[in-house]
Amino acid sequence: MIKLFHVKKAYPGDAPVLDDITLRVEKGEFVWLTGPSGAGKSTLLKLLFCAELPSSGQIIIGGRNIGRIAQSAVPYLRRNIGVVFQDFKLLDNRTVLENVGYALEVLGASDWDIRDRSLKRLEQVGLKHKALSLPRRLSGGEQQRVAIARALVNEPTILLADEPTGNLDPGLTASILQLLFDANAHGTTVMVATHDRTLLTRYHKRTITLDNGRLVSDA
Amino acid sequence: MIAHVAWRLSRRALVNLWRAPLPSLVSVLTIGLALFLGATFVLGLFSARALFTGWGAQAGVTLYLDRAATDAQARTLVQRIRAEEPQLEVAYVDRAMALKRLRSDLGDLAGALDGLTQNPLPPSLEITPRDALAPAGVRVLAAKLSQMPSVAEVDYGREWLDKLEALGRGLRVFGAGALFTVLGAALLVVANTIRLAVYARRDEIEIMKLVGATDGYVRAPFLLEGALQGLIGAALALGAVVALQMWLLPRATQAFAFAAGMVAPDFLPAHAAALLGIGAMVGLFGSWLAVARFLRT
Repeated sequence: MIKLFHVKKAYPGDAPVLDDITLRVEKGEFVWLTGPSGAGKSTLLKLLFCAELPSSGQIIIGGRNIGRIAQSAVPYLRRNIGVVFQDFKLLDNRTVLENVGYALEVLGASDWDIRDRSLKRLEQVGLKHKALSLPRRLSGGEQQRVAIARALVNEPTILLADEPTGNLDPGLTASILQLLFDANAHGTTVMVATHDRTLLTRYHKRTITLDNGRLVSDA
Repeated sequence: MIAHVAWRLSRRALVNLWRAPLPSLVSVLTIGLALFLGATFVLGLFSARALFTGWGAQAGVTLYLDRAATDAQARTLVQRIRAEEPQLEVAYVDRAMALKRLRSDLGDLAGALDGLTQNPLPPSLEITPRDALAPAGVRVLAAKLSQMPSVAEVDYGREWLDKLEALGRGLRVFGAGALFTVLGAALLVVANTIRLAVYARRDEIEIMKLVGATDGYVRAPFLLEGALQGLIGAALALGAVVALQMWLLPRATQAFAFAAGMVAPDFLPAHAAALLGIGAMVGLFGSWLAVARFLRT
């Protein structure tokens, strides 16, 4: 499903952020991506959703080599990948419902379809009653649930989450992770970057560890 | 699906205009002003050309015949010209009439002619085009008439026409240059205004791209927004030009003698459509420049 072969990412004048990464993630897997700050976790996720291109090596997602696809094909690839960030990336001047519906808008869905599917997703994350609120009126945990609803609303095959619980207290962290486990249970491949080792010990899943841009363990 | 998307993008363009009224107003007014100046230049050129043509026509052509030409030869020539060039009015001025006119023109100095032992003036034909003729047309006509029998000299105010033509050419070049400069400036202002709008909505664009929006989908509302700004600006310019024609020109022709022959060229629906089209294109292209640069980065 996701394959990386000797992937390297370096910026001019700096040491490589990622160096010789080779790994494979099967369809429907749940994977922790961990390591200290600066290990290259976020960069690896950026490569996977095509925000950056590798300096060398191959990345195959769903059978497509993303280093070789045309720039114009990237949006279509991204429609199969949901992304969740630590800082949520919600639009403050749009309602919760509009934020979630964004992912469907670009697919050309009708207004009615967007509303219907967005509300269903919000119901799944327990926020249907906040559909018409603005994000800034919500707590951090609620905002992250909205971001997850947006990432999942068009039913992507892959969900990438970059420190999704970084700003949340333990109670909220559990509820957010449960949403990610639920998505995984429905067949979505999930890769979560975190530096919080307590999560790894509490939730035993495959764990890929990076350090200084190198893959140091995969267990 | 296309209808959904078109409607949604149009709605977003309108909402964006509504949410940022001040930058939109700056763009609209800049395009409006640029197009107003441009259209006024063009109309001014048309008017000036019409005026010059009128002056050229007023000048007419005078054929001076051989002094030895008889009345019969002159009248034969008049008939030939009337037959070959029915658009011309031809008046024969015989030698006696020419002297009489000169005497009249000299007024108090007419006594100076009393010492002449014979009439030195040649017979002539005064030729006036019935319809206005451009300077180039007058020149061609003069060349043709000079080939006719008994014609000794042709006077059509050549230097005057040359100056008129040079003035017309200068105005055209100046007008075109000024028009492009003004439109270029408008384009840059629109591009910068839209660039500010794009920058203000960078988070939204980032999220749109994150969830799989194509560059075209991101670009479309901005292009529509620019085109709409251009269209509104052009409509304002159109109103101002029509008002100028209806209000100012009649007063100018009354106030200034030189403008007496100046008439407002007809401002046809096609001209109005062209102005609106140019406005929309300026707005569209300005937006395209701004968004293209942002998407590249």
